[in-house]
Amino acid sequence: MWWKASAVFVLLSVLSAGFLVPLHPGLVGNSPTTITTGQAFTMSLTGYNTFFTRSADSMRIWMTHPSGYALAAHQLRVLNNNDMEASFTVPTVLPEQRDAMTFHLLTDDPLHGTMTLVGAIQVQAGVVDDFLQDERLDGWRNTSVTGLHPQEGFRFVNLPINYESIRNLFFHVPMWMVMFVLLMLSVWHSVRYLGAPSAQTDARAEAYAETGLLFGGLGLLTGMLWANYTWGAPWSNDIKQLMTAVALLIYVAYFILRTSFDEPEKAARIAAVYNIFAFASLIPLIYIVPRLFSSLHPGGEGSPVFNREDLNPNMRIIFYPAIIGWTLLGLWAANLSIRLKNLETLHLNR
Amino acid sequence: MKFDHMRLIFTFILSVSLYLPSVWAYGSGDFMRETGKIGVVFGVVLLIFAGLIWYMVRLDRKLTKLEQQIKDDQ
Repeated sequence: MWWKASAVFVLLSVLSAGFLVPLHPGLVGNSPTTITTGQAFTMSLTGYNTFFTRSADSMRIWMTHPSGYALAAHQLRVLNNNDMEASFTVPTVLPEQRDAMTFHLLTDDPLHGTMTLVGAIQVQAGVVDDFLQDERLDGWRNTSVTGLHPQEGFRFVNLPINYESIRNLFFHVPMWMVMFVLLMLSVWHSVRYLGAPSAQTDARAEAYAETGLLFGGLGLLTGMLWANYTWGAPWSNDIKQLMTAVALLIYVAYFILRTSFDEPEKAARIAAVYNIFAFASLIPLIYIVPRLFSSLHPGGEGSPVFNREDLNPNMRIIFYPAIIGWTLLGLWAANLSIRLKNLETLHLNR
Repeated sequence: MKFDHMRLIFTFILSVSLYLPSVWAYGSGDFMRETGKIGVVFGVVLLIFAGLIWYMVRLDRKLTKLEQQIKDDQ
């Protein structure tokens, strides 16, 4: 009983924290996105979860380049909490002899901390470029970016494209962990069944497989919904989407196999053998193949889930309990099914 | 036959709740595509809820069947 109560308690906490903890403030857009050297222009910036009116006096804004060039805005006008305008005077030439260079937008103030908009502005060379290297660097160096404030407080990371949907980390991602735990328990009982056949062991293997499939299916569906609004389409033939679909189909076949025998003992034995092969194919499909191909999923190069930078410490504090809570709920769902199957067997043998 | 009504009602509720996000997506509010995309999180939680309810309905159906069998045998 205690673990069912903890499932409810942990999941309620995860839902509350997952929905109520705010995101860090962040920049979501700027206009114009393309400018030419040698001109003065006014850039409008849009923020999310920002309070620009409170930091009109302390806000500093730069256009920055990974190679270390920076150009500070010389004037700032705050329109409201989410909109402000920054005026820049772009030097006559680019810091490098190129047709165009892409700059990030960087803002800093004590209240919001440092906010960036990566690749926000493309600066095109406006004049025939025959300047000396020292001359060209002058205008881009006089405003060094120092004294930045890190973003602090218990808030979630504000990633472009994702924004609030990063909270799905607590709902979509644990589905896979639950699926894996349940399918692992299923194959464990299948192995046990082959060693010592009993209706109870078979019931456990089947119940864990069906709840595993339920959570796997939910993982796939929630992933498709999330993908529709971040990657632009519910199905992108992403390697993880494909491999998961294959894995789930293998488990669908497990249930079709079960129903295609009249004798329960024979069905249970063949299903147990099939289950071992199904689980053996799950490992390469979920954990090995996705690492070999590029994926739209984050952390494609390492962990199949999020990489270290994406999964910031504040999110971990809620993500790990989320895995535990959903797993306990999955075990509860399987437990109900096991007890029902045992009652059915009991009634049949009476 | 009482159960068939329940099943019908659940199917109706589930289809409506799965249809709602698409209404928000293309309706005037544009709930799913607004800057913060909080609607996506709501939709994901709704999907999981719908999945669990579907599972419960399935268990309920099996329990009713078993209860009926036990009743018939007595």
